[in-house]
Amino acid sequence: MSVSDADLIARVLAREDHHAFAELVRRYQSPVRAFLTRMTRGDAHLGDDLAQETFLKAWRKLHTYRGTAPFSTWLFGIAFNEFRSVARQRKELALDDVDKEPAEAPPPAADPQSGLRLDLTEALKRLHSNERAAVLLCCQNGLSHEEAARALDCPLGTVKTNVLRGKQKLKRWLQGYQHYESA
Amino acid sequence: MNPPEDRQSIDERDPIDTQLHEQNAYINDDGFTQHVIAALPLRRRMWLRPALLLGSVAIGWVLAVLWLPWKNLPPLSVSAVLSLNSQVLTPWVLVLTVAASLVWAIVAAIQWDD
Repeated sequence: MSVSDADLIARVLAREDHHAFAELVRRYQSPVRAFLTRMTRGDAHLGDDLAQETFLKAWRKLHTYRGTAPFSTWLFGIAFNEFRSVARQRKELALDDVDKEPAEAPPPAADPQSGLRLDLTEALKRLHSNERAAVLLCCQNGLSHEEAARALDCPLGTVKTNVLRGKQKLKRWLQGYQHYESA
Repeated sequence: MNPPEDRQSIDERDPIDTQLHEQNAYINDDGFTQHVIAALPLRRRMWLRPALLLGSVAIGWVLAVLWLPWKNLPPLSVSAVLSLNSQVLTPWVLVLTVAASLVWAIVAAIQWDD
């Protein structure tokens, strides 16, 4: 039987148990790294750097985790803050210059088997970062709107709007792609 | 995270949700956890900086109490403040500055975050 997150956290706080924290990292490294890689528009190196910083910050601030939300929600919150602080410094990740809709659908991928998947990946990159974060957390990682609002530190209504708007944009762009493919 | 959905709810799900869910492939650890654990700082040291700050504040309070000329401070009145009499105001400005900096240091130590 696997040990619960709460037990692992208690062990870390009580005696700085590196093994317990390593287990927490192992459990959540994949969703956190995937989230940050997508937030950085596919830059896996930067995503991993931010993920490492996220876990280091989680280690330092673990005593502030109250347990009122799932541990993953708390981690995603730290991860998004890490992304935001880097995005402020890096022009290519700037938050406001990506809100333009593409003039035409993204080009089809070479491999027809993975075409739609690659297309969705490209379409995600074109979303505004707040919309991308909301869509990734709610639709890909299964967080509720309330949990996403907590992780992104924004009002519940804003998260709902960002998810809705983000998905509408993705649908529009993907429909354009499907028309292109069927032509 | 939400509990896993049953087959029917997956089938009824928005196609975008389904696509996003399918894309959520597991990323192999490949030494990532080891990297993080190797970089962990000692948690004990995290108390050091706020503790040093609070210690400095305590010393500052003691020095302020001992050295400031509390008994020789000129009486502060509304007329003195309004007249901007520097002989009256200067010592009080000094006292206020010391008090404010000590209060600020206490707040900073309490709210220390990383």
